[in-house]
Amino acid sequence: MLDAYIGLLIFWPMAAGLACLGLRRPAARSALVMASAAILAAAALGLASQTPLTANPAFLSSSTALAVAQALGFLFPAYFLYTGLREKHALVIVFALCQLGLAAFGAFGLPAPAEAKAAVVVDGLSLALVLVVSLIGPLISIFALPYMAHHEQHLGPKISRQPQFFLVLLAFLGFMNGLALAGGLHVFAACYEGTTLCSFLLIGHDKTPEARQSALRALWLNSLGGVFLHTGILLIQKQFALADIQAIATPALWTGTSSQALGLLPLALLAVAACVKSAQLPFQSWLLGAMVAPTPVSALLHSSTMVNVGVFVCLRLAPVLAGTSTGRLLTLAGAFTFLAASALALGQSNAKKILAYSTLANLGLIIACAGIGTAAAIAVGTVLLVVHAATKGLLFLCVGDLEQAIGSRDLENLRAAVATSPLTALAAAAGSLAMVLPPLGMLAGKWAVLEAATASHASPLAATVVMLAVVMLAVGSALAVVCWVRFTGTLLSGVAVGQVTAPQTTPKPGQTSSLASGFTTSPSASPSASLSASLSANLAANLTTGPILTMLAGAVGLGLAAPWLNALLLPAGQGDPLAGGWWLLPGLFLVALPTWALGLRARARQSAVSPASPYLGGLPSVAPGSFVGALGRSWTLTEGNEYAPEFFGEARLTKLAGALAAALLLALAGGAL
Amino acid sequence: MTLRTVMLALGGLVLVPLAGGLLAGLDRMLSARLQSRLGPPLFQPFYDVGKLWSKVIAPASQWQGLFVRWALVASLASAVLLAAGADLLLCFFVQAASASFVALGAFCGNSPYGKLGAQRELFQLLAYEPVLLVGILCLAKAAGGFDAAGIMAAHGPLLFRLPLVAPGLIFALLVKLRKSPFDLAASHHMHQELVRGVYTDYAGRDFALLELAHWTDVGVTLCICSLVWATGPLAMVATGLAFLLAVVLIDNVTARLTWRAMLGRAAPLALALAAANLVWLYLE
Repeated sequence: MLDAYIGLLIFWPMAAGLACLGLRRPAARSALVMASAAILAAAALGLASQTPLTANPAFLSSSTALAVAQALGFLFPAYFLYTGLREKHALVIVFALCQLGLAAFGAFGLPAPAEAKAAVVVDGLSLALVLVVSLIGPLISIFALPYMAHHEQHLGPKISRQPQFFLVLLAFLGFMNGLALAGGLHVFAACYEGTTLCSFLLIGHDKTPEARQSALRALWLNSLGGVFLHTGILLIQKQFALADIQAIATPALWTGTSSQALGLLPLALLAVAACVKSAQLPFQSWLLGAMVAPTPVSALLHSSTMVNVGVFVCLRLAPVLAGTSTGRLLTLAGAFTFLAASALALGQSNAKKILAYSTLANLGLIIACAGIGTAAAIAVGTVLLVVHAATKGLLFLCVGDLEQAIGSRDLENLRAAVATSPLTALAAAAGSLAMVLPPLGMLAGKWAVLEAATASHASPLAATVVMLAVVMLAVGSALAVVCWVRFTGTLLSGVAVGQVTAPQTTPKPGQTSSLASGFTTSPSASPSASLSASLSANLAANLTTGPILTMLAGAVGLGLAAPWLNALLLPAGQGDPLAGGWWLLPGLFLVALPTWALGLRARARQSAVSPASPYLGGLPSVAPGSFVGALGRSWTLTEGNEYAPEFFGEARLTKLAGALAAALLLALAGGAL
Repeated sequence: MTLRTVMLALGGLVLVPLAGGLLAGLDRMLSARLQSRLGPPLFQPFYDVGKLWSKVIAPASQWQGLFVRWALVASLASAVLLAAGADLLLCFFVQAASASFVALGAFCGNSPYGKLGAQRELFQLLAYEPVLLVGILCLAKAAGGFDAAGIMAAHGPLLFRLPLVAPGLIFALLVKLRKSPFDLAASHHMHQELVRGVYTDYAGRDFALLELAHWTDVGVTLCICSLVWATGPLAMVATGLAFLLAVVLIDNVTARLTWRAMLGRAAPLALALAAANLVWLYLE
């Protein structure tokens, strides 16, 4: 049974993706994607029921896996090289050549590493990633069905490119599962390159010049990350003749005499590669560029797939990093990204950019946990990974839906969206509050990181570094609160004198009907066709709201379950799992629930009466958007948020923060020697 | 959980808002004396809230009642956590949630003045939160734990190990108590450009509940400040009153600054001092 679970988790999405390519009918595609969702969820839960475990699946022995992985180690860079040559992109070519060279050296210049003890290793951390990939990923794929239909209608290519899109989308999930389950470094690295390839294809899906440019940027940056990764792996292989991830993540290995020559340099290189994948400063540009892709791609990259690779690597290596200067520098780098990205998010009015910067920030927080490296910090980092994935996935789906409904992704145009798209706007509000408010998981995580960081007992110099990181976390946390409360407030905003400006583009005429016509092949010409159109209109609406509501339930549920998740992830036998303040959170839920109901009752009562006229310093006038104020004149009223560009301006802050972050990562690699 | 903890929690639930109301009255008396006025009686804030409670006014938005109640419960929860001697950091985060709800309620209203006030309320939050947070980290380091009970049981006053945190605490208090020069979001002294800022849209019972929440916040924040000299209940009360006196004095001798000055100069300075103290505590 175990073999079947593992096989399904890794290979089913790839097979289903290929089937999407063959069966070009939308209905068949929808059925396949929904079936994949069910199968992946079942397999992931099946795996969860048997964790922790190690396995050598019969269908793939360690030596075959190694051979396949090494072959892929040539295949992926070769494709990147081809792409670089075709697009005449120097950086892509250079890094692809580097990777090919490293792969050749690894295959022919070094003795083969000792076989990993188990091809598949599942512990709390890898299970967390598998669950995130296999539960959230398929939900986003389902959301993508109506979204892409509408998207193509908008873009209008001659031949539908949705089959390719869903192939890559599903294959991405397979690579992610492979990466989470891999017991050996080479399989891991092959899947790592696979995710680079998938993200490149998905970001460039629209084939616009902007999409092409962003895709190439993602490709060269992630290939650079690949170069770091492969160098680190080869150094480990040369030093220890090992490729077993579990063995490498053992602190004893690195304190032995044989490791003195290089110190922790290989691990530092892996950590830098992780920072590239997780789009930490100064590598953030690829993730920001990825916004040009259709929203399901952003949702997938930001919540359930790509960026989690980096934090997964760091958390995996964290036991070795605990108490080392490399670990402390990684904590500082993560905390710095948390601070800088939170500040950058506050200065943005583009809703997708706010989400993107917030993703960087929260991943930085997780990387800071990994740098601390104690068992408590690793557990908190894993909880943050899971809760963040659910919450950020929800937010991306909501913003994507609002964008299609309103025709703009600018926060100022989403002002008072609750009046036009109540369900999505409220789900987005709940998601954004879940990012910052107690007793939900993200805040619980921040709190636990602060306490874990201050608990470290180290030399004075080391303590100074950690305290610097803690102050950065404190400021970043306040920035995040302001950013998300403002986001919520803008969505729920009241309107004083009617809409001032019309939305930038015309809203789509009746969201569901336009979705429907993208879904059926023929427009409603005959009565039977119109019947089927209205049927699939319902289906399309359900395929949009269904994932959003499921993600909402997941995000809030996981947020509430954080103390128990944390207790499950802590190594057994550490005494009371709800010790150290964690027990207070369940108490706070018990307070929060009746308060929630109390608030809803007040809202029901107040909805029944007509509201007071707004205080304007004047009288509402008949013309929309204006009021009669001083001097009896008619004044136009415009509203907007203060984005404080003099503090949080993107251009200046990006340069400054990028330089500092690059210096930190250099210190990380140099200090590890 | 012992019976003693439950009693303390209940005591906090009732006494902290009451103390906040009394402090508001004391504040008004002190300010009046400083301005050579007679001023209102000590219980005036309670009369005001009673009057507000008796008014039935149409709400400015259907969301306001909800956010006011959430804010009040969050404030009370932070008071309970503090009184029961629980984790100080968590108490702080719950109080920040209350401030967020106040801002959200103003965002949901219709008045542009209210929304402007909400923006400023959030910038105020941004200014004082890190300072207070680092201050709490310093307290925890000096006392050897995050439990409020443990900090209260520390031997001797902590102030001598936290000299650089004290200005930060006063800064946070000034912002939290909506005092000049950082009276930006609610424009306490009326007839200013912001009308009543974040409070513009609140009226009647909702406003009365919001006042209760504010009293609680004042009580909790002063209580956190008084932990720097927590050698006994009387010492804590005296320390809290000393902080209040300092804040009232500053309120009466300063003019209002802009939010840029708060965010760009005052907050970084206060934060740098507090951070220096934190590093110093770890170097000891």
